[in-house]
Amino acid sequence: MTPDFPILTLLVFLPLLGSLLVFACWRSDTLVRWVALAVSLVELALCAWPLAVSDRVAFPGAPAGFFLFEDATWIERFGIRYTLGMDGISLVMVLLTAFITVIAVLVSWEGIKERVPLFFALLLAMQSGIQGVFLSLDLFLFYLFWEAMLIPMLFLIGIWGHGRRVYSAVKFFLYTFLGSLLMLVAIITLYLMHGSQTGNYTFSLHGMLNTSVPLGIGVWLYAAFLLSFAIKFPLFPLHTWLPDAHTDAPTAGSVILASLLLKTGAYGLIRFAYPLFPEAAHAMTPVLYVAAVFGISYGAWVAFAQEDMKRLVAYSSVSHMGFVALGIAAWSPVALSGALMQMVNHGITTGALFAMVGMLDERTQSREIITYGGIWGKVPVLSFFFLMFCMASAGLPGLNNFIGEFLVLVGTFRVSPAAALGAFLGIVLTLVYTVRLVQEVLFGKENKPLELKDLSLREAGVLAVLGLSAVYLGVHPGPVLELLKAPIELLTTVK
Amino acid sequence: MQTYLTLMLLFPLAGGLTCALAGRKLPRQAVEILACAAVWGSFVCAALAAASYAAPQTVTLGGWFSSFDLLIPISLYLDPLSLSLAVMIGFVCGLIHVYAVFYMRKEGDYARFFALLNIFVFAMLTLVLAESLPLLYLGWEGVGFCSYLLIGFWYTDKNNADAGRKAFITTRIGDTALVIALAWMFQLFGTLSITQLNGMGFLMPGSIVTAIGILFLIAAMGKSAQVPLMVWLPDAMAGPTPVSAMIHAATMVTAGVYLLSRMYPLIGSSATAMATIAVTGGVTAFYGATCALAQRDLKRVLAFSTISQIGYMMLGVGAGAVTAATFHLLVHAFFKALLFLGAGCVITAMHHEQDIFKMGGLRKTLPLTFWCYLAGAACLAGLPLTGGFFSKDSILVALWHKGGTLYQSLYALALLTALITAYYSFRMVYLVFGGSDGHKHVHVELKFMQLVLIPLAILGLFGGVLNLPSYIGEGFLTRFFAGLAGGAAVEGTHTEELALQAVAATIALAGLLAAYVRYGKGRSQRLLEAKAYPTAMAAFLLNGWYFDRLYQAVLIRPYQALSGVLWQKVDEGVIDDSLDRLAGGLGFSGSWLGRWSTGRVSIYIVSFAAGGALMLGYLAWLAL
Repeated sequence: MTPDFPILTLLVFLPLLGSLLVFACWRSDTLVRWVALAVSLVELALCAWPLAVSDRVAFPGAPAGFFLFEDATWIERFGIRYTLGMDGISLVMVLLTAFITVIAVLVSWEGIKERVPLFFALLLAMQSGIQGVFLSLDLFLFYLFWEAMLIPMLFLIGIWGHGRRVYSAVKFFLYTFLGSLLMLVAIITLYLMHGSQTGNYTFSLHGMLNTSVPLGIGVWLYAAFLLSFAIKFPLFPLHTWLPDAHTDAPTAGSVILASLLLKTGAYGLIRFAYPLFPEAAHAMTPVLYVAAVFGISYGAWVAFAQEDMKRLVAYSSVSHMGFVALGIAAWSPVALSGALMQMVNHGITTGALFAMVGMLDERTQSREIITYGGIWGKVPVLSFFFLMFCMASAGLPGLNNFIGEFLVLVGTFRVSPAAALGAFLGIVLTLVYTVRLVQEVLFGKENKPLELKDLSLREAGVLAVLGLSAVYLGVHPGPVLELLKAPIELLTTVK
Repeated sequence: MQTYLTLMLLFPLAGGLTCALAGRKLPRQAVEILACAAVWGSFVCAALAAASYAAPQTVTLGGWFSSFDLLIPISLYLDPLSLSLAVMIGFVCGLIHVYAVFYMRKEGDYARFFALLNIFVFAMLTLVLAESLPLLYLGWEGVGFCSYLLIGFWYTDKNNADAGRKAFITTRIGDTALVIALAWMFQLFGTLSITQLNGMGFLMPGSIVTAIGILFLIAAMGKSAQVPLMVWLPDAMAGPTPVSAMIHAATMVTAGVYLLSRMYPLIGSSATAMATIAVTGGVTAFYGATCALAQRDLKRVLAFSTISQIGYMMLGVGAGAVTAATFHLLVHAFFKALLFLGAGCVITAMHHEQDIFKMGGLRKTLPLTFWCYLAGAACLAGLPLTGGFFSKDSILVALWHKGGTLYQSLYALALLTALITAYYSFRMVYLVFGGSDGHKHVHVELKFMQLVLIPLAILGLFGGVLNLPSYIGEGFLTRFFAGLAGGAAVEGTHTEELALQAVAATIALAGLLAAYVRYGKGRSQRLLEAKAYPTAMAAFLLNGWYFDRLYQAVLIRPYQALSGVLWQKVDEGVIDDSLDRLAGGLGFSGSWLGRWSTGRVSIYIVSFAAGGALMLGYLAWLAL
């Protein structure tokens, strides 16, 4: 284990290589699936490397907190560097990405029957993009990955989706693309300002950190970042692309969208927007508070009205991600670690719920709640998991989501009791829609006689792994919180 | 001690998880034995812990989670309060498990049932033993979750599932107040350890202590079914009867009282908070008793009586008499579990008929049940020398001694409620067991079920010895609780105490007499009346003062209606539409979306791949 080994590069580009390998096996769909699974598993195994780094203090020559670091000149003319770095936050997100991708491959095993090689290639390519986002420390590189990860998703929805899939795919793409264009403008402005101030034209995050930006301009630049990230989050009222995209995406698309792509928005806010524009971020905190608090209750309320399970879970994401935004807005150590925990937990729980809706959909070709009812007796194992993830989602202590929400609420209350008080309403409203979902799917009488099979071994395995993670993170989240501690300390003291 | 405590929690947890994960593969008897053994094992540990108990102590089993200065350990606190509750929970739940084995013999899904029952015991013990408030909250939510699923155990009937949902959501409203209190206390004190918080009340101005006390009270209102959050408990009777006995009578519903007693050292210094608690308790006690007067469903009579009796406990806490409240909590657990289990026997014998006006004569068919049930009813009514008499009386005495207009009016209200209680208790007994029209045959299961009633009847009848009045001798609980805040014995002369007890005894006997006249002698008349349309007053009481209708109209319907409006009018109508228009205005949406959605997807792939390749090529060229 030499420190020179480019493990981060490998983490980012292994999936992309994997997607080429998948193409090479295009003759056999079965082989394609196994290759994709193998690649995603190798990626997951590779995460053991950074986990095994015992001394997570700093890498020689790296900014504080980054214990793995790769830096090379790339486009010298513009001061663009190929800089990857990993601190505790990145590690947690990279791990989540690797884990969820394995799940995404497995849930697509039988559901995807057309253009199988293309599907898995895109899935893996997207993973590369996401890992890149979580590891880049150069804004240009970050932007590149940020855009790159969108394209596979566009096609996943557009080709393998349901319903108005092309409309949803394009809507998804345009929303996020518009937002990121503004961010690009902001990046370039900041780049020029920094360059003219110091004579050193660089896109490096840590190089640009100490740019002195007048608050008047900083607010606009921050707003551009915030807009881009808020769309991805998605924060109220920029969320309306999400229900459409989720509803029409294939199962794996929904899983990745909810578990990973939404997290990139929050990650960007934490990694880039806040450190780059601390004053502007501080000045605009009320905006974030309002959007977060409002989104929590609003998402929960609208989720209650949904007839389509996927749409319900999609709106629940708006509500859950509101807690993440709340924790970021509070920017206190406890709240921020809560926000990051909530990102991980939402990834697991909501990913699992989307996977389960997909499993039901594969059985009955319906995602309408009204189709189901009283299925507990028929499919007890499936129902057990469904209930479990619903309860996790409702923040039942002992399961994962509780930890994040609790930390966010307690941490935020300290800084802004008013904002926290608004969010408490979410605790009740979340339960209201969750219990409705459980009730109308699992309990009651059968609305239609359904031919349902209980979980296959593969499905049970996927859910068991997700379920164990939910329990583990609910009972013993210490190791993850420990990883987050040092970087959060650095982030919150800078301000 | 650590071993006892760990095992006390571990047994039911392990039992529950085994039943949940492997129960469907195990034979029925294995599951039954496992579930019962787990709870009895837990009880043995509680008893051993009690035997070796010397002084209050905190036992830390490990860490749960921590973030910077927020440290949440898995730590348990053993003191007279938690210990006496843990022993009671182990014992009563153990008995009810045995009863449930026979009661549920004919039902499927035994694994789910016993898994939840066991996990409930685990959560309840966690709630009681927790030293850190988040851990208490874990138990608090855990019991709520088990209660939710057990109320809706027969889920194919929509009403049962709805009742479970109602219970879960209503109590969640109270739980939210608890989380707010937690967040606030962490902001104020920087800790969530119960023992530390209880020593820190003096640091804060009275108004904040009052506010925190009221937040705890709201939490207790949810779980302990106090006005105005009591609407879920009567509906919770949709669950199997052992569940009603265990969760909705003996243990979970008293969690609110326990919480307030636990936090008494902190919140007790606020007279306003205490007065609010007392008023809530007094009003609820009266409310529950009046509603019980008009109920026809045997289990609903008991449910409303539970609401009412917990009101008494809250009165006790509000009067600053934690010992009296806990005394009543313990004795109530015995006699109310007894009444529910007795009701279970009755309902089984009646082939699931629950209307007390359609029963009768069971004194001859089920003599054992009758005698035990009678003991329970006597306790509930507070007939002299029963356990219920002493425990209820200790609350009345505390109210009397607290003095002041408020507490003396509450004393009067509590006495009036006691009269009503005695009346409805024996109304129930006369209707169910009186008359001569009984000819039901007895199942084998029923014989075993009845046996469980005996120990509970003994405990209920003689529960008074737990805390004898001071003119007879020093009460055990008073001595045991002496070190606790709010545990001090009420000062008063023996004559005064005797006089107060004489009043209470007279009231109870008057209620009994009235019930005898109306439902014993006048039985046939009442049965005729029952066939007629109920009077407005009867309907008002039967429907729990129409609280359900009020909430339906004011909260539930508007919420449902608005959620639809928010979705279709606001979310898709205003927000989405305006953003689409915005995009359209920028020249994207209209033409672009239109063209894209008609085109072939493969064209986009090719064009995107080409674009991407060009861009990457350019970058690579720059790099070289």
